[in-house]
Amino acid sequence: MENLGYSPDQKMSTGFKLAPKRKVNVFRKYMAAMLLLAPLLLFILAFFVVPMIYVFYLSFIEVEGLDVSNASYSIGNYLTFFTDPYFLRSLWMTIKVSVYAVIIALILGYPIALTMAKSSARVRGYLTLLVASPLLISVVVRNFGWYLLLVPNGVIDQFLMGIGITDSPLKLLFSVPGVVIGLANSFLPFMVLSIATSLYNIDPSLEKASSIIGASPLRTFFTVTLPLSLPGVVAGIVLVFSMSMSSYVTPALMGGANVPVLPIVIYEQINTLFRWTFGSAISYILLGVTLISVTIFSRIFERKFKEVFR
Amino acid sequence: MTTSDVTIRGVSKRFGTNVVLQNIDLDIKQGELLTLLGPSGCGKTTTLNAIAGFLDPDEGELYIKGKKMNGVPPYKRDLGMVFQTYSLFPHMTVHENLVFGLKLRKLKKDEMESRIKRALELVKLTGLEKRYPRELSGGQRQRVAIARALVVEPELLLLDEPLSNLDAKLRHELRAEIKRLQKEVGVTTIFVTHDQDEALSMSDRIVVMNQGKIEQIGTPTEIYQNPQSEFVFQFIGKSNRFEGLVVEADADHTDIEIEEGWVIKTKKDNVIGKDRTFHAHDVVNLYIRPELISIKSVDQGLGAVDSELVQQKAVIKQMNYLGSQWEIEVSVKGQHHVQIIGPTIENSWSVGTEVLVEWKTSDIRLTKR
Repeated sequence: MENLGYSPDQKMSTGFKLAPKRKVNVFRKYMAAMLLLAPLLLFILAFFVVPMIYVFYLSFIEVEGLDVSNASYSIGNYLTFFTDPYFLRSLWMTIKVSVYAVIIALILGYPIALTMAKSSARVRGYLTLLVASPLLISVVVRNFGWYLLLVPNGVIDQFLMGIGITDSPLKLLFSVPGVVIGLANSFLPFMVLSIATSLYNIDPSLEKASSIIGASPLRTFFTVTLPLSLPGVVAGIVLVFSMSMSSYVTPALMGGANVPVLPIVIYEQINTLFRWTFGSAISYILLGVTLISVTIFSRIFERKFKEVFR
Repeated sequence: MTTSDVTIRGVSKRFGTNVVLQNIDLDIKQGELLTLLGPSGCGKTTTLNAIAGFLDPDEGELYIKGKKMNGVPPYKRDLGMVFQTYSLFPHMTVHENLVFGLKLRKLKKDEMESRIKRALELVKLTGLEKRYPRELSGGQRQRVAIARALVVEPELLLLDEPLSNLDAKLRHELRAEIKRLQKEVGVTTIFVTHDQDEALSMSDRIVVMNQGKIEQIGTPTEIYQNPQSEFVFQFIGKSNRFEGLVVEADADHTDIEIEEGWVIKTKKDNVIGKDRTFHAHDVVNLYIRPELISIKSVDQGLGAVDSELVQQKAVIKQMNYLGSQWEIEVSVKGQHHVQIIGPTIENSWSVGTEVLVEWKTSDIRLTKR
């Protein structure tokens, strides 16, 4: 026993001494973490949570015209929205435009992400920069670029008419296609990077295993690569969808009055018609619809592909 | 071509300016377990990948069962492969992992089910069909991977370091099991490893590779007992090395002076490597395996010293108990450290004890420096 370096008693006593010391450490660590987080938490509280609560409160105040004196608390704003076909059409338009943008971003984004995943680290770096480049340009400038391309008798129309595919302008601007093109272009990076991250995480030997078992590259893609990349696909869809739903600048520039999506309607209600309590209610309806559809969508996917999402 | 399942003729492969395979010729017999053994970067994995079809050789030809395979993609080669990282499809159950290859071969449903049942029986995993890979232990995952490779009844079974990710005990278990399975199924198997114990215990034949070339092909005993190059000798097993100077050489004998007053007589059979002729003043390396040295107490005496036996006094420097045997390091003539592996020691021995070490001159291996 002597040469073990310590006796059992010693071991016991150090054990007892350590226990309370550890508790203090945990508490201190927790405090330190809170202290480090405090500035951000305060910022979010002051400039996000409080305004959100205030807007929620406003949405339940019904005002007749501009006279604030006869304001009353009710769910009238919400009833107005859901009984007026104009607003319901606008909601539907918003969803439609966002879903189209998601589909385009997915179709264009997946092959790019796949190429990135198959490339060497160096090429991958360049591709990432290329994919992220739309984020480096102001949304207004980017949309004006599209504006010049899509404007009636603009570059695209001239080209298509020149080679004889169409004989009249396509009316891409101030229409749903224009907005969808703009949105898909803006949010494509989020789709690509989400999917690519998922693809990077797939063990390359899985594709080898599939190949040696006898699956052609196409078969391997659909049975191994695609299912295992679904978490990234879902994340990309959710990101692009929610950003498209709340997008204002692109629909305003590319759609104008022809594509009155909800953010534009909210702006009109608040800044032009000064119905800011009604505008607040629409904001919450937009938020609610986005949250609910995103939740239902991801739930369905996660349930269907349970094993992939673990 | 009748008994050879895989024929490799003059295969070379370069990555840029880096030559990874250099003119490889290899015949793999039907039903044998052949191991590609070597240090990392020796070309063993590249050879396996060429057989699997993951890369195409720059030169040379590759035949599997008589069919030329150059340019044939992996999915048309009808092989089974087990990877180091298990590589089970994580989103599929054990059953789905196994049935995948069978569906691609368009088998009938009951044929598929009976094959899966047999494969799982073979790897002793019956009843785990509905489990997902993450619900299995490392050993079980690797068994599923083996079952997945075998269930398609492949032309060849390729094993790419399949035991490297397992702990020591499991590795031992699976070693024996893979060997048993392979004999039971009778599938020609190519096994890649850097672990010489694995290679020696499992293989019918071993191919020792180094720097993109084949150093030696032989049975485990041939490789261990009659290495044909210094590389093979040093790579497989442990060895003690002495530097020496040739003092006298004739057709059969070479006398080597290790140091002033210590001359060892060796025979021609002791020489390994291509250059087998020695002249006086040549510098040579002399090797002896630690388990071929015996160690005894000084009082047992020097006995009859003849030219068949090398015997020296030594001092014990270190003693390591390994359970089934002892590893003892001694110092001979104060400057030569010699490692000895043996089953028993005397109770009175400790660090500093003077002992006698001896080995047969026929066990010495000799190479020119």
